[in-house]
Amino acid sequence: MNRHRYRYLLLIAAAASGSAAAIERGDAQIELAQATAAVQTAERDDAARYSPADLDEAHAMLVNAQQAADTSAWRNVAIYAERAKVDGELASARARQHRAEAATAEIERSVDTLRAQLGRGGAP
Amino acid sequence: MTAPASPRLLLAGALGLICASCATTPPGPPPDVVRLEDQLERLHADPRIAGNAGPELANADAAVDTLARNARTLDAADYQQGVYLSDKLIQIAEASAFARYAEQRGAALGAERERLLASTAARSVAPAVAAASVPPPVGSASANLLALQSQLGGLESRVDERGLVVRVGNYMFEPDQAALTPTAQRSLDSLARALRAEPGTTVLIEGRGAAGDGQSAAARAAAVRDYLNARGVELARLDLAARPSPETTAPGQARVEVLIRTD
Repeated sequence: MNRHRYRYLLLIAAAASGSAAAIERGDAQIELAQATAAVQTAERDDAARYSPADLDEAHAMLVNAQQAADTSAWRNVAIYAERAKVDGELASARARQHRAEAATAEIERSVDTLRAQLGRGGAP
Repeated sequence: MTAPASPRLLLAGALGLICASCATTPPGPPPDVVRLEDQLERLHADPRIAGNAGPELANADAAVDTLARNARTLDAADYQQGVYLSDKLIQIAEASAFARYAEQRGAALGAERERLLASTAARSVAPAVAAASVPPPVGSASANLLALQSQLGGLESRVDERGLVVRVGNYMFEPDQAALTPTAQRSLDSLARALRAEPGTTVLIEGRGAAGDGQSAAARAAAVRDYLNARGVELARLDLAARPSPETTAPGQARVEVLIRTD
């Protein structure tokens, strides 16, 4: 598991140990930067077309995180940023799934047509 | 006025409340955790997912496991955060695995398609009629179209009541673009040669896209027209059209049909 993903578990583990309240500005800003990058990646993956609800949720969480940052509520920044990050990654994953399934369906129709053509021309 | 309760009585009351709360705390993990664990179990039991599980499923496993171990010690806000993140990680794992599954299946079908196209070209399969319910044209016009069809390599085609229909599928364009793939260009070369050899034919190039996606369909049709024109087919013979296709549901995935008729 890479460091990027591992932060989710760190947040939970930190909360369980009672240290989550100590999230500092630097940590929150890293979370915010990662969330922004994840949302931008989802936009590049055309999630607005393939997974608009997930992308909308990611945008909403990112706005919440940015508003929390304006008031220096660093724990809230981290919480909302983590949510924006997973929402952005989910939007990207669903966009990839949709593209792959649509392309496969197109090829499948093509194969069916060719099989029918060959069938009418005499099976090998 | 009531007498103040003695410290001993208050202590006994507090202990009683604590014991009562212990007795009413349900054993086992919270319902949210049970739900998440059930979802994970479903993912692991699905061979399409388990067989294509990447790091995303391991991340979801780890998140739910961490949440389950710490659920009773988290405050409400942190617990909800853990549930939210775990829930999304499970969905990411599912979508990623299904994407890999579809990509692998698409690759296998693509290889099958290439094999079928090679068989079609090698055997010069007698021109086929794609839709059994649609009768082919008859007479010399039909014979000309069938002869033209036999010259096409690497392209799906059929002869129906409209004429010879050559299909340029979504997969023959770069993803979400109007640009033809190199393989598609090689396939269209045979169509250009056949059209140059049959100057009496007319050509209608139709972009077939999802409803409301006429721009993408038109752009792909134009790309096919421009390619054929660049390969020596006169522009005056190449008409363009775009219309919705019930087969195409996603925007940006238009296909193109080249309709060839003899006058």
